[in-house]
Amino acid sequence: MAFDQARDVSDEALLVAYGNGDREAARLLTARLAPRVLGFAARMLGGDRAEAEDVTQEAMLRLWRVAPEWRQGEAKVTTWLFRVASNLCTDRLRKRRSVDIDSVAEPEDDAPGAVAGLIEADRARALEGALAQLPDRQREAVVLRHLEGLTNPEIAEAMEISVEAVESLTARGKRTLAGILSGRREELGYGSD
Amino acid sequence: MARIDENGRDDAMLDEFFEAGRADAPVPSSDLLARIMADAEGEAVAREHVKPVSRSRRGLFAALAAVIGGWPALAGMATAAAAGVWIGAAQPEALTVLTGGVLSTSASDFELEEIYPGYSAYVTYQEAMSQ
Repeated sequence: MAFDQARDVSDEALLVAYGNGDREAARLLTARLAPRVLGFAARMLGGDRAEAEDVTQEAMLRLWRVAPEWRQGEAKVTTWLFRVASNLCTDRLRKRRSVDIDSVAEPEDDAPGAVAGLIEADRARALEGALAQLPDRQREAVVLRHLEGLTNPEIAEAMEISVEAVESLTARGKRTLAGILSGRREELGYGSD
Repeated sequence: MARIDENGRDDAMLDEFFEAGRADAPVPSSDLLARIMADAEGEAVAREHVKPVSRSRRGLFAALAAVIGGWPALAGMATAAAAGVWIGAAQPEALTVLTGGVLSTSASDFELEEIYPGYSAYVTYQEAMSQ
């Protein structure tokens, strides 16, 4: 399957093709989905890259396993995958807390590197630090909505809650984020007004 | 009104942060991509090996049995076949029950002439030739 043609093929069709033995479909799905799952997992796990990679690999493995039974039209691959990744992250966060609360990576929003420059990477790092301070469910809803670009109904399906609950979580999450980040507007190059 | 302005300002500020966050998304390492693809290959190969095995385990005989209703139906057929063999092999002593006595079961009731009319002439001829 040529790359240009593959761009028009849905994730669901590619997954069914892989389920029928098409390895190229698996490669295309990996290129499309792995970065998204990795980004989501990294934010959910407070920037722990190694753990985020493990979650990504495990979520994709579960996708490969479900492929032969996948029926087009029943669910969206991205929604299904984010739900799996979300559950994997939740398990790891729970274990982390029960094992050693001190081992949780501290938010880096006070790190000197984040304050020094006004470049975009610093803002991204500040956002990551602020996201880490949100409750898990609020963080998940905000990341899916504003960083992964899912719609509220898709997030509701991924998180297995109602659309109203999604709206509430994102609203509260954004309010908290604004409170954390507004104090840093000047140092991050947004001016003081 | 002041609150609306504040919310709008917060949203605008957050949008800039979100934009920065999207631009700074982590890129999967080549090692991670290789691991994911190895899993995909492993699962595909495992499925390809499982399929033929499951087919060969269910052979022609099992497939046939499934078509006619499984092992209970086969057991019934085997019983019927055994009964057929027994009926064919058993001594026909009770044939009179079926024929109602029309046919005699005693060999002495028949003369050879009845089934071989030229036999006595043949015997006479043989005797004449031998003398």
